[in-house]
Amino acid sequence: MKVFRNPDVLWREEDESRAQAYEELSKGGDVGEMGTSVLFSDGVMLSLNILGTEIWKRCEGWSMDEIIADLVEQFDVDPDVLREDAAAFLAGLEQKGFIRYED
Amino acid sequence: MKTNNFLKAPLTINWAVTNRCNFNCQHCYSRTDPSEELDCGTLFDCIEKIVTAGVLSINFGGGEPLLRKDLTDIAAFASQKGLRVSMNSNGFLISRETALRLKTNGFSKVGISIDSHVPEVHDRFRGISGSHGKAVAALAHLRDAGIKTSISTVICKINHESIRELISFAERHSVHQLNFHNFKCSGLGYSNKDSLDLSPDEWKDFYLVAREAKQQNRGLEISLDDPIIASLGERTETDSLVKGSVCGKLSLNIKSNGDITPCGFIPIVIGNIVKDELKHVWDTSSVLDRMRNKKPTGKCSSCKSYEDCLGGCSARALALTGDFNNPDPHCWVHES
Repeated sequence: MKVFRNPDVLWREEDESRAQAYEELSKGGDVGEMGTSVLFSDGVMLSLNILGTEIWKRCEGWSMDEIIADLVEQFDVDPDVLREDAAAFLAGLEQKGFIRYED
Repeated sequence: MKTNNFLKAPLTINWAVTNRCNFNCQHCYSRTDPSEELDCGTLFDCIEKIVTAGVLSINFGGGEPLLRKDLTDIAAFASQKGLRVSMNSNGFLISRETALRLKTNGFSKVGISIDSHVPEVHDRFRGISGSHGKAVAALAHLRDAGIKTSISTVICKINHESIRELISFAERHSVHQLNFHNFKCSGLGYSNKDSLDLSPDEWKDFYLVAREAKQQNRGLEISLDDPIIASLGERTETDSLVKGSVCGKLSLNIKSNGDITPCGFIPIVIGNIVKDELKHVWDTSSVLDRMRNKKPTGKCSSCKSYEDCLGGCSARALALTGDFNNPDPHCWVHES
């Protein structure tokens, strides 16, 4: 199953916030609450942290396995924990109609 | 609390491309504004500016935007530049052909103002006989053309007890969204507030019923864009991103002459899109900074909902008390 962004969802990466979050991350800080992108569609709005943003950016035909494999290269994170978090995150986006799955 | 502004630019620009109008509404905030209009070429340059700043969507308003003969040219340009294009209209000028032209020129959504399910009530409020019928016809033409539709209803004395009828009406006309807008005391809305605005207790009663109706109607999106509903434990659609008013945090308003204001109902000019860079205004305006970092005063100081509502609608507080830090005059919560 490949995951795709809903093209009706408008989104934007926030460059300055992203730079700040990566700087904080390099110092070992907690960036879980730092928004680095924003999504909105029909009045529903979300801000995503670094990891959420990177998952979202890969919702262009990647499979879950491909997303996890790519992100564990980039972030210091346990693959099993990441898989669990990513699955919950994508389930939330699917419920909002922000993504869809295709074979 | 997310009062800090992490957004590099507004997500949306509400752009009043003209103040001219073919209606005579009792609550109008723009008809008395004598500001001139920017020509089409200047508007193109300004749209380039907002695209460069990172804005994602543009919503045309006014006045009645369709009174500009070049509206579809402007919309097509904005759409080609990647902006999501929408409009608020009274619907009077939207024929089948116009709806198709709007679709061809990039409009993805059009909101039609309808203030009552009863034609005579709407026509009287809008000052034009037959306007209700035209608005309803416009909804059908837009839908047939493949444009998402919404109904915008300004809640006031004429309709606050007709929530369920308004919802049934919206469902019958297959709109995507029903927006209940709180009454703003700007322009004629200020002059006519005594006959149109609700008391705080009436607002509370309205929101209690509207909240229940919203929870029961899953097919129709019902939007309650008023931050004071936080005291009912209700979240606004933008709550996950910002608290309180969204003006100056997620969106900005641009007037027909290019003046930039935090929202259409706050007459404080913080720049001009012809002369200024949007990002500079967004990042450095002291007015926006104050709006993003409001301080509780009066009964807000001891209110447990303040963290979520941030004093309610800044425009209303400014219009009726002279300071947007003051408690929203619509708020029904008593001092604790």
